[in-house]
This record gives sequence, C-alpha cells and structure tokens, in this order.
Amino acid sequence: MNKAGSRASRYWLGGAALVVTAVVFVVPFIFILFMAIKDRKQSSLLDFSLPTSNNLISNIVEVIKSRDYMLVTAFINSTILTVASVAGMVVLGAMVAFVRQRRYSRWNRLVDLLVLSGLIIPPAVVPTIWVLQKLGIFRTLPGLILIEIAFGLSFTILLFQAFISTIPKELDEAAILDGAGPFRLFFRVIFPLLKSVVVTVIVVQSVFVFNDFVNPLYFLPGDDNATVQLTLFNFKSQFTTEWNLLFTDILLITVPMLVLFIFFNRKIVEGMTAGAVKG
Amino acid sequence: MAGVTFDAATRVYPGSDTPAVADLDLQIEDGEFLVLVGPSGCGKSTSLRMLAGLEAVDDGRILVGDRDVTHVSPKDRDIAMVFQNYALYPHMSVGDNMGFALRISGVGTDEIARRVAEAAKILDLEPYLDRRPKSLSGGQRQRVAMGRAIVRRPRVFLMDEPLSNLDAKLRVQTRTEIAALQRRLGVTTVYVTHDQVEAMTMGDRVAVLKDGVLQQAGTPRELYDRPVNAFVAGFIGSPAMNLLEFGAEDGGVRFGGATVPVERSVLAAHPRLLLGVRPEDLEVGDRGLPVEVDVVEELGADAYVYGHAVLDGGPANVVARVRGRSLPAKGALLRVAPRPGSTHLFAVGDGARLG
Ligand SMILES: Nc1ncnc2c1ncn2[C@@H]1O[C@H](COP(=O)(O)OP(=O)(O)O)[C@@H](O)[C@H]1O
Ligand SMILES: [Mg+2]
Repeated sequence: MNKAGSRASRYWLGGAALVVTAVVFVVPFIFILFMAIKDRKQSSLLDFSLPTSNNLISNIVEVIKSRDYMLVTAFINSTILTVASVAGMVVLGAMVAFVRQRRYSRWNRLVDLLVLSGLIIPPAVVPTIWVLQKLGIFRTLPGLILIEIAFGLSFTILLFQAFISTIPKELDEAAILDGAGPFRLFFRVIFPLLKSVVVTVIVVQSVFVFNDFVNPLYFLPGDDNATVQLTLFNFKSQFTTEWNLLFTDILLITVPMLVLFIFFNRKIVEGMTAGAVKG
Repeated sequence: MAGVTFDAATRVYPGSDTPAVADLDLQIEDGEFLVLVGPSGCGKSTSLRMLAGLEAVDDGRILVGDRDVTHVSPKDRDIAMVFQNYALYPHMSVGDNMGFALRISGVGTDEIARRVAEAAKILDLEPYLDRRPKSLSGGQRQRVAMGRAIVRRPRVFLMDEPLSNLDAKLRVQTRTEIAALQRRLGVTTVYVTHDQVEAMTMGDRVAVLKDGVLQQAGTPRELYDRPVNAFVAGFIGSPAMNLLEFGAEDGGVRFGGATVPVERSVLAAHPRLLLGVRPEDLEVGDRGLPVEVDVVEELGADAYVYGHAVLDGGPANVVARVRGRSLPAKGALLRVAPRPGSTHLFAVGDGARLG
C-alpha cells in the first residue's frame, strides 16, 4: 500500500474508533441525562426521546429527600467505604509487592499463585458471609471494607510489583548502607517513587469500590448502612418504578467518579505505563 | 578508619555449584587504596558486596579493623559505597541525598547542613544542592554519589565501577580526582574496575581476580614487573604482553636466531614453556624471530607494530614497540628479539611463573 493510502486507512480506523467509543460510552450517558430531565409520565415510556419538560432540579431534590435523606447517608457510607478500603489497598498492596519483589524466598511461587488466584477465582459469597459472621463483623462497615480490600488487593499488588521491579535494587542497597531499616527504606525511599502508580490505584479502585453494587448487597444488607448503589432500590417497588428518579439517582452517583476519572485521566495512563526510575 | 581483612571469604550463589568468590585472602591496610580488577564476571562485585554486607559470606570471615563483621548487618559496618549506577534517591534533592545517612543516624540539622556544605565544596556541587538528581549531568551525579559517601566519614569506602557510566574524557579526569580525594581523606578504599589502566593508575595496590580466585595482589609495579602467572601477565599492561609457546632446547628456548637462556632445572621439568615479553622489551634487529607486520599503530613518539610469527606450535601474534620515525611497512618482515633479562617464563598448563 502506498503512503497516502495507509494514511487514509489510518484516518478511517481512527474515525471508526471514535464512533464506536461514542456509541458505547456517550449514548448511554445521554440516555441517563434525558431520563433524569423527564417527568414521571414521559420517563415511563422508556424511550430515547428528547425531554418535553425540564424537571432536573425537582427530580434531584426529590431523590435527595426520599426515604428520609437516605442518599445523603449513603454518600457518607460510600465515601468512608471507598476511602478506607482504597487506603488499605494502597498501603498493603505496595508493601506486599515490595517484599515479594525484593526478598528471595521459597514461598515466592506460592505467593504468586495466591495473588493470581485472587484475580482469577470468583469470590464465594456464602462461605465469606460465614467467615464474617464468625468474626462478628458481618453487616458492619469495617467488615465490608475488609471484603473490598481483599477483592481489590490482587490487582493492586500486581500493578505495584510491576513498577517496583523497574526500581534498581541498588537504590535499596544504598539506603540499607545509609542505615535505613526496612520501614524507613519502604516509606522514605520506595513509596515516594510509587506516586504515579498510587494515583492509578486510587482512581481505578475508587471507581470500582464506589460503584460496587454486589458486595454491599451481599455483605452489608440493611437500609442504615446502604451505600450509594443500593439507593437505586428506592425508586423501584414491586409494582411501579419511578424511572425519572431512578435515572436522576444514577446520574448523581455517577458524577463523582466521572469527575475523578476525567481529572486524573492522564496520570492513570502514566501510572500504567510508568517506566524505570532513573537516579 | 581501619584496615580490611578477607579471611578465606567464600560466596556460593544459591543454585550454583562453583563459588563466585573462592577462599579470598586479602589484607588491606588502613588508609590504603586497593583496586580489585579482573574480567567481567570474575567476582569483583561479589567480593565488594560481601564486605558491604549486601551478600552473605558462606565461608570464611571478613574483618574491618580488628572487628569480625562477617555476621554484622550492613548498616552497623560503617561502610559507604558508590554504585555503578550511582543509586541516588530520585525524589530527594542533592543535599538530602547526601544528608540522608546522617539524618537517619540522628545527627543534628545544623551539623548535617555543615557537613553537606563541606562535601559539596570539595566536590564542586555547591550550586546544585537543591536540584534533583534527574536534572544533573552524568559527571555531577557521580560526584553526588561520592558526596553521599564522604559526608558519612565512614571507616571504609567501597566503589563498584564508579566511572563506567562516564564518557572517556571525563573518566580519565575523574579518575585522578577520586585518587586525589582518597589520598586527602585517607579513608581505606576498595575500588572495583574491569579496566586495568584504571587499576594501575589509581591503586596503591592492585588485586587481580579470575573466576572468583585471587591471582595476585601487589603494587602496580610488582604486577607489571613480576606477574605470578600468565593470566596476570596478559591482563596487566596495554598492549598485552606477548606470550609465546616454545619447546625447551639445550640451554634455553630458541627465539628465532636468538637464544633466551633458561635454568637447567626448569628445562628438565618442562618440555614446553610459555615465554612472556612486553612489547617494549622486544628489540628489532638482524637476529631473532621473524615477524610479518600486519598493522602499524603510530603514537607519535613511537609506534606499536602488530604482526605474526610462525612458531613450531603454529602462528602466533606478536606486538612490539618501535621507536623512531622509520617505521616498517605493512607486510614487511622484521626480526625481533627480547632484551636480555626482560623475559618472563610461565608453565604451559596452569600458567604459573617459572622465572
Ligand atoms: N545474584 C546472583 N545470583 C547468582 N549468581 C550471581 C549473582 N550475582 C552474580 N552472580 C554470578 O557470580 C559471578 C561473579 O559475579 P560478579 O561478582 O557480579 O562479577 P564482576 O563484578 O566481577 O563482573 C558471575 O558468574 C555471576 O554470574
Ligand atoms: Mg560487577
């Protein structure tokens, strides 16, 4: 193929990719937005049409007020859940990855296997509930935090480990000769170098935990502890569903993570592809 | 400050049958600059890392001063090391890099600042104290790594090929600077390099390693004038010593027309001998070994003639230094003979020195 031809085909490919992205990501979002603007009657048609009247503000107010301001509590719960479990993942993940990457041990292969299993094997709900009950932390926020940490840890470890493997080992050795103990070595020398990966982990896992519907449903049932995703039930009863409110709720709980993603977009890619640390 | 003793120190890496360093016996005097030299993979870094405590010692002992540090943790050995890739902390400023060890050991802020400033002055780093390593040139990074070692005032400096990431010109310049600095500070230093020129120019003494075994330790002059075996003879000196294999004959070996006398007892025990002659000890004349010239390398005042001769064992390369302006042409036939008393004799099998 000649040069002009290949450039044209690349144009075409790029265009096609844009269209696909638009269809897959933007269209659903527009649908959500339209539904959130519609009134109850129009929304019950569940079609992709322009709203005939603007009810966005009143819908938002109604969603926030419903069930005695449950959405507000839910936002607080979700925030605690997200912050605590992501913090846990970052600290534990980085530490495990550091030890696994740097210390030679007979157990390394077993550890690798366990980490990969955590990524591959789907969690079993009933035994997990049983364990939580025995520990007395079933139906508690700390219990759910531990669950989220456990489920997110494998991915986090792998991400950190890949990055730590690019940090020259001499850096550790220099710090050891300078008198640093293991904790100082980790927190003063290694951890500061992981910044870009930490940002990636925070964003990716925050989105995951914040948007998690299934785990709160299984492990933290009950209205008092509801996380944002569970508020979606508020607008769906056995007989009727208030679609406009449901979609307004979806809109409200999607926005924080969307903002986070857009804001850190570039940093995430940086962290995923971060290369060697040069002294 | 203190001397260092390797007492039969041995390191066998897990999963390997042969030791990376075998029975290393080496004594380094207080304040001495010792260079460990040898080809790549001969165990130089391993020896250094054993001394630093970064590598386990599988057998034998290591002493710093009178203290047995074989099982002492690295941070309690009071040793500073300069790494080949410098291993500067990328997220810290130059000043913080140099002061890190002092901060850990609880030295006061004022004292740290004073000592860092002092080191920065010695190393010409004063304008860069607030910069990150990333924004420095290779030579500056190298000096920061040196600075990090000297602010600690350790008992021993270790340097593992600290110049190999610099360009040739800077390498030569830094070489003298490091040697001068070491002499000025008087700190016992173990310096690792694969470059024999570096070893010869910098070291008070040089220790030559091969395959994890110490071959010879001595002053550069001793190594050059009396190598204990053919390996050291060939490794030290550039261009390398000519090592030519001859059959023993009556009274010595016949170097072309010339006879190099060899002791009777040696001749009796060794039917074949390795004769070593440095290029500058070969004289061009009308007697001696015929050598066909392949290449002439002019250096100005004199020149190296690279050629080949035919011995009874087959063809052999020969290098000779010739003086003057009338140089042989390529393809010319020269006759070379060693200056009397300048030859070295080695056994053919293990290369041990015979005389
Ligand atoms: N961590 C290690 N594990 C196993 N073998 C090693 C390790 N480090 C070095 N070696 C081996 O030990 C020998 C000596 O290595 P080294 O001391 O690094 O050599 P040098 O510094 O002289 O080039 C080499 O054969 C090398 O392959
Ligand atoms: Mg080495």
